[in-house]
Amino acid sequence: MKDLINYDIFEENWEVSIVIGLIFGILIFSSVLFFVLGKLKPKADFSELVMRTKSWWLMAVIFVAATILHPIITFISLGLLSFVALRELSSISKNVRSADRRTLIWCFLAIPVQYYFAYIGQYGLFLTFIPIFMFLWIPFMLVINGDIDDIGKSMSVLPTQLMLTVFGLSHLAFLVALPEIDGFNAGGRSLLLFIVFITEMNDVFQFTWGKLFGKYKILPKVSPNKTWEGLIGGVLTTVIVGYFLKFLTPFTDTQIILVCFTIAIAGFIGDVVLSAVKRDIGIKDTGESIPGHGGILDRIDSLALTGPLFFHIVYNLYYL
Amino acid sequence: MRRFLLWLIYRVIMRFLLKLFAGISIKDKENIIHNGASIIVANHNSHLDTITIMSFIPTKQLIKTHPVAAGYYFGKTNSKKRLSNYFINALLIPRGRPKKGENKPDPIEMMLEVLDRGHSLILFPEGSRGEPEVMQDFKWGIGLILQARPEIPFIPIYLKGLGKVLPKGDPVPVPHLSKITCGKPTLPISKDPAEIVTQVHNSIVSLKNNY
Repeated sequence: MKDLINYDIFEENWEVSIVIGLIFGILIFSSVLFFVLGKLKPKADFSELVMRTKSWWLMAVIFVAATILHPIITFISLGLLSFVALRELSSISKNVRSADRRTLIWCFLAIPVQYYFAYIGQYGLFLTFIPIFMFLWIPFMLVINGDIDDIGKSMSVLPTQLMLTVFGLSHLAFLVALPEIDGFNAGGRSLLLFIVFITEMNDVFQFTWGKLFGKYKILPKVSPNKTWEGLIGGVLTTVIVGYFLKFLTPFTDTQIILVCFTIAIAGFIGDVVLSAVKRDIGIKDTGESIPGHGGILDRIDSLALTGPLFFHIVYNLYYL
Repeated sequence: MRRFLLWLIYRVIMRFLLKLFAGISIKDKENIIHNGASIIVANHNSHLDTITIMSFIPTKQLIKTHPVAAGYYFGKTNSKKRLSNYFINALLIPRGRPKKGENKPDPIEMMLEVLDRGHSLILFPEGSRGEPEVMQDFKWGIGLILQARPEIPFIPIYLKGLGKVLPKGDPVPVPHLSKITCGKPTLPISKDPAEIVTQVHNSIVSLKNNY
């Protein structure tokens, strides 16, 4: 039982404790705020915000648990997150034919393999397994199944879903497997905490700035809620918050600003790309896994893009 | 012992597996809880349909609930019969009613007998599973039962997605999001079996459209 929880992380990395305290502080603050506001102004409808806060609690518990528990639990819980995301995406996608079910099994089986490569820290296998091996294997399995109608669609849709939900998210797990380096001994766990916190905060900031000052739409057809004011305000706030969380990363001052800027833009891209996919399918929210948030996909769509970007920046700058 | 087993199988193990593979969610759960005899009617696409409905019924009620199943499929051998009786609580009926003068058990009589004991039935009026997400025509049985016992309510249930998790003719389950929607317990409005069948059919279709 003692091995299950990684107490060292509190003793050696006081930074991590601070951020975890900060996360729950923000959550408690907003829960209390909405509760009080709801009592003061019973007429105003805060139900959407209350629901959102509820699902943030769930997300925070998942990721904080992933940070402080034993690495094995971290890998299993992140793998489950990939599984749930892939299950949701393949269920709602109208481009997955019923003839593809046998091939879909291979996509699900790829999840444990990919996370195992992350766990043993096999950088080369981890990087090539899905983009090369699965990209060959899935079309082959589709051909073996023998249903040729619309097979091209399936050949492109299934690997893309695998890339978004498994390849993208598994980079978060590989962050945890990164070893300590000179001058930065907080390790991969604090990097995981940093990227998840920054990406989710970026979502919130862009949403809030857009709600408060949004006027000029960027992509009216795809995502009517995305405005230039929201994007610019969100990017600036994210960079400022990221700068103060620099102690979680090995970056220098200039690097952290550039990295936060990149994450903020990538988070925006992930958001609008998944929005377009959803519009194409004709639904607003992707599911009901987290209350008030549509599906789990709505929360992790930006992470699927910012995760790999952040990972490769860190890896190329400090681990090669 | 049996009650504990049913609780463990349906409320714990099956519920967990369904959550994992089907991400099952339920709408208007309170409608399924019913004291006394009732008939749960649902659309049928997969073997998981019965298990899903059973996993949401409280154990006290579950022990008095019998899914109606085709005898020739689930009761082929004696051991299979015993297993279905013990673990699924199934009521095995023959397909089709006996012709005049034939000395065979009447499925309608068998079902009425269970209802008269104060127990409940789970019935799939489509008869067999068919294509995923496609509803077939309803059989007459439900109309005849409700005609004979108009005081017993039926609970319509619409199941979505389970036919994609485990469809007919493919033993390998694939994860797919599913949902179960429960309608209010309803009494038949007519005495005519054909009209009752239409009423039951419409109540399930309206759950489908309100999805």
